[in-house]
Amino acid sequence: MDLDIIPSGLAAGSLYALVAVGFNILYRPTNVFNFAQGDLVMLGAMISASAIAAGLPWLAALLAAAALVGVIGLAENFLAVAPIVRRSSASHAWIISTLAYSLIIDNLVGHVWGPDPIRVDPPWPFSVTSFMIGGVRTSSYQLALIALTGLMILGIEQFYRTRAGRAVRAVAEDRDAALLRGIDPDRLSRWSFFLGAGFAAMTGLLASPTMYASTQLGPSLLVKGFEAAAVGGIGNNRGALVAGWILGLAEALGGSVLSPGYQAASTFALLLAILLIQPRGLFGQPEARSV
Amino acid sequence: MTARLQIEAVDVGYGHVGVLERVSLDIPAGAIVALVGSNGAGKSTLLRAVSGLLKPSRGRILLDGADIAGWRPDRIVDAGVLHVAEGRRLFRQQSVGDNLELGLYGSRLDRAGQTARYRLVFELFPILAERRQSRAGVLSGGQQQMLAIGQALMRDPRVLMLDEPSLGLAPIIVDQVLDVIVRLRAAGTTIVLVEQMVERALEIADYAYVLQNGRVAGHGPAAELATSDLVRNAYIGAGHG
Ligand SMILES: Nc1ncnc2c1ncn2[C@@H]1O[C@H](COP(=O)(O)OP(=O)(O)O)[C@@H](O)[C@H]1O
Ligand SMILES: [Mg+2]
Repeated sequence: MDLDIIPSGLAAGSLYALVAVGFNILYRPTNVFNFAQGDLVMLGAMISASAIAAGLPWLAALLAAAALVGVIGLAENFLAVAPIVRRSSASHAWIISTLAYSLIIDNLVGHVWGPDPIRVDPPWPFSVTSFMIGGVRTSSYQLALIALTGLMILGIEQFYRTRAGRAVRAVAEDRDAALLRGIDPDRLSRWSFFLGAGFAAMTGLLASPTMYASTQLGPSLLVKGFEAAAVGGIGNNRGALVAGWILGLAEALGGSVLSPGYQAASTFALLLAILLIQPRGLFGQPEARSV
Repeated sequence: MTARLQIEAVDVGYGHVGVLERVSLDIPAGAIVALVGSNGAGKSTLLRAVSGLLKPSRGRILLDGADIAGWRPDRIVDAGVLHVAEGRRLFRQQSVGDNLELGLYGSRLDRAGQTARYRLVFELFPILAERRQSRAGVLSGGQQQMLAIGQALMRDPRVLMLDEPSLGLAPIIVDQVLDVIVRLRAAGTTIVLVEQMVERALEIADYAYVLQNGRVAGHGPAAELATSDLVRNAYIGAGHG
């Protein structure tokens, strides 16, 4: 076995964690699990990759993609989620409607970009060129990605300690009680969809230097992000980070000792084992919801 | 700061099921008005309509003359009408302090004003100061009720509506809660009090309405209603028969 799997596993796991955090941002105030999340990630990657190819600086491409995809997330809330939640907050029809929205994005992206992956270089001063440090092979971009992910998740957790962040948690716990305290859940949902989709777009761009921007990015990251969210405890961002890293490391380890056919199955078995022991995920709290 | 609440001939229901029919109440500024009636009479439904959780299909709800019927709940809270719902609806996963902080959501008070609200709530309910760090979900029933009222008080209500605040509480805690309600009236807050403990509610109320099967069956000064048959009949007439 080879210690190179540690940075490469953590870097891939960071991307899974970021996808999971995107899920969580939307889930917290709405209790809706957005099945279009993977497509929003992919769309963000395609838009920013094209913008960078057209000569836009990295940061500008990132902001443009986040804003555009944010608006597409807002539209998803407006078309596919808000009408359902308004009729009954207990309805699960959003499973179908967010899946439908994801198929629409998927089709549109296929028409606009076609199947060819787009290469994206990391932003200055980082590079995917590998070097050795303490006998481990890594790259500056891998290390930056791992550190940035940790910092962003800490920052997001700080947000949930502010009054607005507490209001988001309050809506998740008891929507009517939140309404009676002057909290407008619809407004929080709109913000969450905008920011969650923008976050997905950023995840897509961050994934591109190591995974390429392509229409294949959506489905693979959707599943991995979903697994990280479930294993970390739905709604729990720190859990998503730990679960994403476990998932990334398990994959890298499986890839180095098992034949590729067993790799996916072995990580899946590991995640299942964790969920059997901890059904609400590593950090999931029992949801004591009053009815 | 005090305000008058007038409910004029409202119809309220759930979907197509009507519950309240042409219900009218006049709640004078700075008074305690008790709203009594058997289970299922429509008391909670009426409070939900005032706070905007339900929209009346007919009639008007006037706050100092302005019609607030159909407004969004957050706007009604902004206007100073606070509703402490049945069953101590708190954010149980969050601490006592965080619940009070959430009570300030949307408030335009400056820091000094916010501190004054905390001071008032902790003065009325000292136990909340002691348990500030505890999760709301682990408090006793009485403490949860105090927290629910305290949370509403953070917004400095002009009209405070309390739905069965004594439900399931020990008698000594009920005394404490009713005592706070009387003190709030003295400070000018208009109070709508829905209570199952009718005698206790009529003791502290200025005026009372009896609701029966979604209609106002009678009303009058609390002292008069306490000795009349109207209240007893309302309980015999519906729900238990
Ligand atoms: N969420 C609801 N959906 C449908 N009907 C309801 C709902 N809540 C209450 N009701 C009905 O409205 C009527 C009045 O209920 P409610 O206002 O809770 O009475 P009270 O508070 O006086 O006990 C009852 O017949 C009850 O069954
Ligand atoms: Mg009731």
